[in-house]
Amino acid sequence: MPLIKEDVNQKIFKVSEFLDFLNSLLVPQKVIVQGEIGAKMAQYPKFTIFNLLDKDNEAILPCFIWRSKIEELNIDLEEGMEIQVLGYPEIRKPKGEFRFQVERVGLVGEGILKKQFEMLKKKLDREGLFALEFKKPIPQFCQRIGLITSKYGRGAKKDFETHLESYGFEIYFYDVRVEGLSAIEDVCRAIKWFNENLLTCDVLVLTRGGGSWESLRPFNSEEIARAIFASKIPIITGIGHEDDETIADLVADVRASTPTHAAKILTENWKLASINIYEFERNFPSLMNRIFKNTESAIIFFEDNLNKKIKDEIFSMRTKFEEFTKSLMFHFRKEIASKRERLDNLLERLNLYFRNYFEDFRALEKEFIRNLLWIQRLISDKKVETTQFLNKLIKNQDLWLARVDRLLKQQREKLIPSSPILKLKQGYTITFNEFNQIIRNLFKLKPNQMIKTKFYKGQILSEIRKVEK
Amino acid sequence: MPEEKFNFTKAYQEVEEINDWFQKEDIDLDEALEKFQRGMDLIKKCKERLKDVQNRFEEIKKKYSIEKENQGEEVDPKDIPF
Repeated sequence: MPLIKEDVNQKIFKVSEFLDFLNSLLVPQKVIVQGEIGAKMAQYPKFTIFNLLDKDNEAILPCFIWRSKIEELNIDLEEGMEIQVLGYPEIRKPKGEFRFQVERVGLVGEGILKKQFEMLKKKLDREGLFALEFKKPIPQFCQRIGLITSKYGRGAKKDFETHLESYGFEIYFYDVRVEGLSAIEDVCRAIKWFNENLLTCDVLVLTRGGGSWESLRPFNSEEIARAIFASKIPIITGIGHEDDETIADLVADVRASTPTHAAKILTENWKLASINIYEFERNFPSLMNRIFKNTESAIIFFEDNLNKKIKDEIFSMRTKFEEFTKSLMFHFRKEIASKRERLDNLLERLNLYFRNYFEDFRALEKEFIRNLLWIQRLISDKKVETTQFLNKLIKNQDLWLARVDRLLKQQREKLIPSSPILKLKQGYTITFNEFNQIIRNLFKLKPNQMIKTKFYKGQILSEIRKVEK
Repeated sequence: MPEEKFNFTKAYQEVEEINDWFQKEDIDLDEALEKFQRGMDLIKKCKERLKDVQNRFEEIKKKYSIEKENQGEEVDPKDIPF
């Protein structure tokens, strides 16, 4: 709460109150200061402290910057570097020291800017921010347009709006700074705003007029590049002149060379459609007419053709039928004649065969009867012969018996002297071993072996004492 | 069929499709009549949309608020040597 002058003169401040009072005046002074980085930079992990110098006047501005702000540059701060700092002045109460709180650093000098540009381009390219596969298509007919540019710019807004013809576009204009360090924040906020509040936009147009390469710097920043990439709504860029190529252009879904070109891209399809629609309107009835005519002539052609075709067809069928009948009759006749001939042949051959068979059969029959008579005669002859033999046999029976008896007696008498019983009777003995085998020599006999000796009447068992060979 | 909300892009694309369809060789008359009527109907609606319609401008009023970028990072003042 700033005090008015009268109050300040009367009031007696405490130190803390006074510093607060000074800060309340200093902090809102958001300014951009340009100078050179002096020697004795103090680098800490989270922040850096350095002096910004004015070489000619030997003036010094102590600055404080967070490490993350330096990282956004993609280039390290070095002694002797010419830079611009955006931020605000402040007095640190604990030490009573003045410092400039840096919110954003901008490099100065074409050489270093180009280097920064190339490094960022390479980095984002590696990450794929320029890849075609991530480009969102612009609708064929855009109606709702989010326009992000400056109302104070050098005619970019006017150029765009003038060349956007009247096709009922709805343009939502978001005013942003397009130059200087604060442009980055503005543009990023605008893109975010549309994505959060007006997602029904068909397209966003990010545009600004031409200027020096240095003045287009915000559009070469990493923040804007990432904001464009993150947008769900497709973005057309139209930045500077035709030859200017910024990082924003590379990330954008479509790059227009100028604000005018961006307007033309959006108008183009509408314009084409408004020509084409009249052409379609003219063409459709004539196309339809052509189809009617084609159909009509096709019907007439079919009608004529059909009559002729039917006649032709009937004639051709009749001819075919007659030919067929003729050929059928011819075939029948031929077939019947051939069949009859074969039948006659067959009958003739059959008759011949039968005749032969009958004759053979008759001859065989005669021979059979002859043989039969011969066998009958033979049997009756043998019968007589057998009867005679039997009678003869009965008559001589006794004679035969007597002869047999006599013969038997003679044989018995011959046998008696060689009988073993007779030999035993005469006093001989027979000796057996334990297996009842007759012993004929002494070879196998051993002392102590048992032997059996048979007499005419009775037998003895004895043991051998000695074998004398 | 209830009248759906007119969509120019869809309508125009359908007209183009019908135009392509008419370029075919074998065309069924009934289908052609149907397409023709549909096409003429859409053309009429597209023409109405394409009539000189003034563009509408609206500037977005921002609630501009100064947000300090570094509010999230608090450091003990003693760590800062000036």
